Amino acid sequence: MTSSILFDRLSFSYQNSTAPALQDVSGEMTRGSFTMVMGHSGAGKSTLCCTINGLVPRFLRGDYAGRVVAEGLEAAKNSVPDMARTVGIVLQDFEAQIFSTNVELEMAFGLENQCLPRTAMAERITAYLRVVGLEELLRRDTATLSGGQKQRLAIGSVLAMETPVLVMDEPTTDIDPEGRRHILSLIRKLRTRERTLVVTDLDAEAAVQADQVWLLKEGRLLAKGKPAEILTDSALIESCGVRPLATVALFQGMNWPGRPLTVEAAAAEIKNRRLLRPRRPEGRAISALSPGKAILETRNLSYRYPAGAVNALADIDLTIHEGEFVALLGQNGSGKTTLAKHFNGLLKSTAGDMLVRGRPVNQYRRPELAREVGYVFQNPDHQIFAPTVGEEVGFGPRILGMDRKALERNIAEALDATGLSGFEERNPFLLNRGERQRVAVASILAVKPAVIILDEPTTGLDYVHQRDTMEMLKRLNQLGHTIIVITHAMWIAEAYARRSILMKEGRILLDGPTAAVFSDETMLAKASLAPSDLIRLRNRLGLAGMTLADMVKELQSEAVPPGSF
Amino acid sequence: MNLTFYNDEATWLHRLDPRTKIGAVLLIFIICLCFNHPLFIAVILAGVLAVFATAKSIKVLWKLRILLILLFVFSVILWPFFIKGKTILFQWHGLEVSSESLLYGFAMGLRLMTFVSAGLLLLATTKNEEITNGLIRLGIPYPVAFALATAIRLAPTFADAGATIVQAQVSRGLDLDSKNVFSRFKRFAPLAIPIFISAMRYTNFLAMALESKGFRPDAPRTSYYEPQITGRDWLVLGSLTLALAACLYLRLSLHWGIIIAGRL
Repeated sequence: MTSSILFDRLSFSYQNSTAPALQDVSGEMTRGSFTMVMGHSGAGKSTLCCTINGLVPRFLRGDYAGRVVAEGLEAAKNSVPDMARTVGIVLQDFEAQIFSTNVELEMAFGLENQCLPRTAMAERITAYLRVVGLEELLRRDTATLSGGQKQRLAIGSVLAMETPVLVMDEPTTDIDPEGRRHILSLIRKLRTRERTLVVTDLDAEAAVQADQVWLLKEGRLLAKGKPAEILTDSALIESCGVRPLATVALFQGMNWPGRPLTVEAAAAEIKNRRLLRPRRPEGRAISALSPGKAILETRNLSYRYPAGAVNALADIDLTIHEGEFVALLGQNGSGKTTLAKHFNGLLKSTAGDMLVRGRPVNQYRRPELAREVGYVFQNPDHQIFAPTVGEEVGFGPRILGMDRKALERNIAEALDATGLSGFEERNPFLLNRGERQRVAVASILAVKPAVIILDEPTTGLDYVHQRDTMEMLKRLNQLGHTIIVITHAMWIAEAYARRSILMKEGRILLDGPTAAVFSDETMLAKASLAPSDLIRLRNRLGLAGMTLADMVKELQSEAVPPGSF
Repeated sequence: MNLTFYNDEATWLHRLDPRTKIGAVLLIFIICLCFNHPLFIAVILAGVLAVFATAKSIKVLWKLRILLILLFVFSVILWPFFIKGKTILFQWHGLEVSSESLLYGFAMGLRLMTFVSAGLLLLATTKNEEITNGLIRLGIPYPVAFALATAIRLAPTFADAGATIVQAQVSRGLDLDSKNVFSRFKRFAPLAIPIFISAMRYTNFLAMALESKGFRPDAPRTSYYEPQITGRDWLVLGSLTLALAACLYLRLSLHWGIIIAGRL
């Protein structure tokens, strides 16, 4: 096995930053291997990726010590364009790296830089578009692609350069579940003997297929090994901000022998070892929702974008009650965000009515509406502007004309609820993504709206921050706020929402208690969704609980005692 | 608002070499400057619109209808106050409007519309990459051509980000309809700062991605689209040059198409 990438006592800290991004990282990736790099946000995953082609330290400067060698080239001693012949990298933000106006030109860009003749370019473009499954879209305008298609195009355009090393930084972040599935299966396909693959991801389920897993924590390489060694240590990976595998966690919780990595392996294990008595799964009791007063109502609501050819929303009849915790689920383009933007009047329906507390939304004045329905956008950077967290959070209440006393009290309460007490004087631009997300929530919260809508509140956050954000929403819900979450992360809907609404092509496919919606895997598949591993296992075992703890409790009451093997 | 103007069709205009189209737009600009009589400029504008129709791109023009109407209206209203003519229509406290100055205003409005339409015709029928390619082949230094093309490319992206930012701040209670001047100024920061910061992040990231794909502005590179100058290109350039010569003759020797002499 020859070495492809070598890290030799690599340390790096960014300019103007005191904490090191990477500390004393040493390790080797062999040619043709697939390494999954995991860790909490800020652990140094992206920095590590960028050291392989020399973006760190040639583009992103700072204190650099040690060495990174990729296929015999020392990254720091060569320019980034020179390294590009050896190392291809797909950066985290796929929106920003697609530069050309149509698909084939995007594929050609790197090849033009390699000075390839036209005919050779055309051959490679055809070949690699087929690999990423976009061959039908040769002449499409890149702006019209879905997130998953854009990500596959970004991967394809780097693949076409035929570099021996391919690095992908979080290729499944910010993509809907179907897109994610496509990309994971694409990664499986990309494993060849000649190509060294380095991929970072936040999700342990994606790491199962890797040869090696590297765990980073605060810039240090905490552990590396085969998936079966690393991923079975739930405590270890959780300490690195990675959500443990549901199958492993369940087996640990039950004190069952074996540490299966996939649902299929777990089901087989349970069957072969006869860990459970034969049981009748259909006797699941799912409690109905007990709704309060109606707060948001749509009546035959339809919407068509000004340039659109079809209705983005068609005949939506929906009532959301006070105190509910709702998840809006569906593929990109299914109409989730379009619907949610009607709730606070950002969009005006083309037909039908949108009522807030029984009154048409267009009868509200903007400030009035902001007090009823708050909307937290996906990217906190689209709203943060103030020099301090205190001012940022106080912006809403201040423009709504709240008096000084109420203002201060609301800011303090909002910061407290989001775990940001003591951050008043901090500069919001210098906070990490999880903290900026919380500033965005706090700034909506300070207005005390009855309903809070959150569009993908956990994108780009690691497991620990995702859980913190969701626990915070749970507390707000208990305080009486109605919460509506738009999300691609199934486990979030499963663990926190009491009601789930499945959308497809502008219509509501299924609406009901989350426990019931996630039992219906056929319906979910129709919306191109699938439950998380934990819930797939739950459905196979016929359990009622939606959390690991509930499932363990339920199973323990009926499992075969461990002594009887 | 969607600021992408390229209209993916396969008309004769789309197939022209980008150099030809850039040259043709410049020629139309100069032809416009030959006359200041509204009727003459209207004829030129009608010509440009006819070409738009053959390029199946009228809908691109329709996108900018508001801008075009505004340009025209402002020009017609403002010019008469700055130009003096013989036939006074009315006088008011030293301000006078003459029929010549009014017609001149019409002409300038039409001229602006023709400028914008001709430029839009280029953008509607030429891919961004083709424009870059054309500029480079015309001898513009690569970094300049690339910067220009990048600006055109990023305009829609930043406009999208801007629209999202407006919605995000309106959701927090920002009232964009308020008439108060002071509050208007206060509204500026919540919109401008996030737009600026996201643009900075975006461009920085883009630079990283470009370098990672082996791009450097000073190095030679091949081009996937290789436009060729054909007979058709020479025909277009030749006819426009003839048209320009004819217009210059009309204006300079026959003094046609003039409302106010001594002005462009």
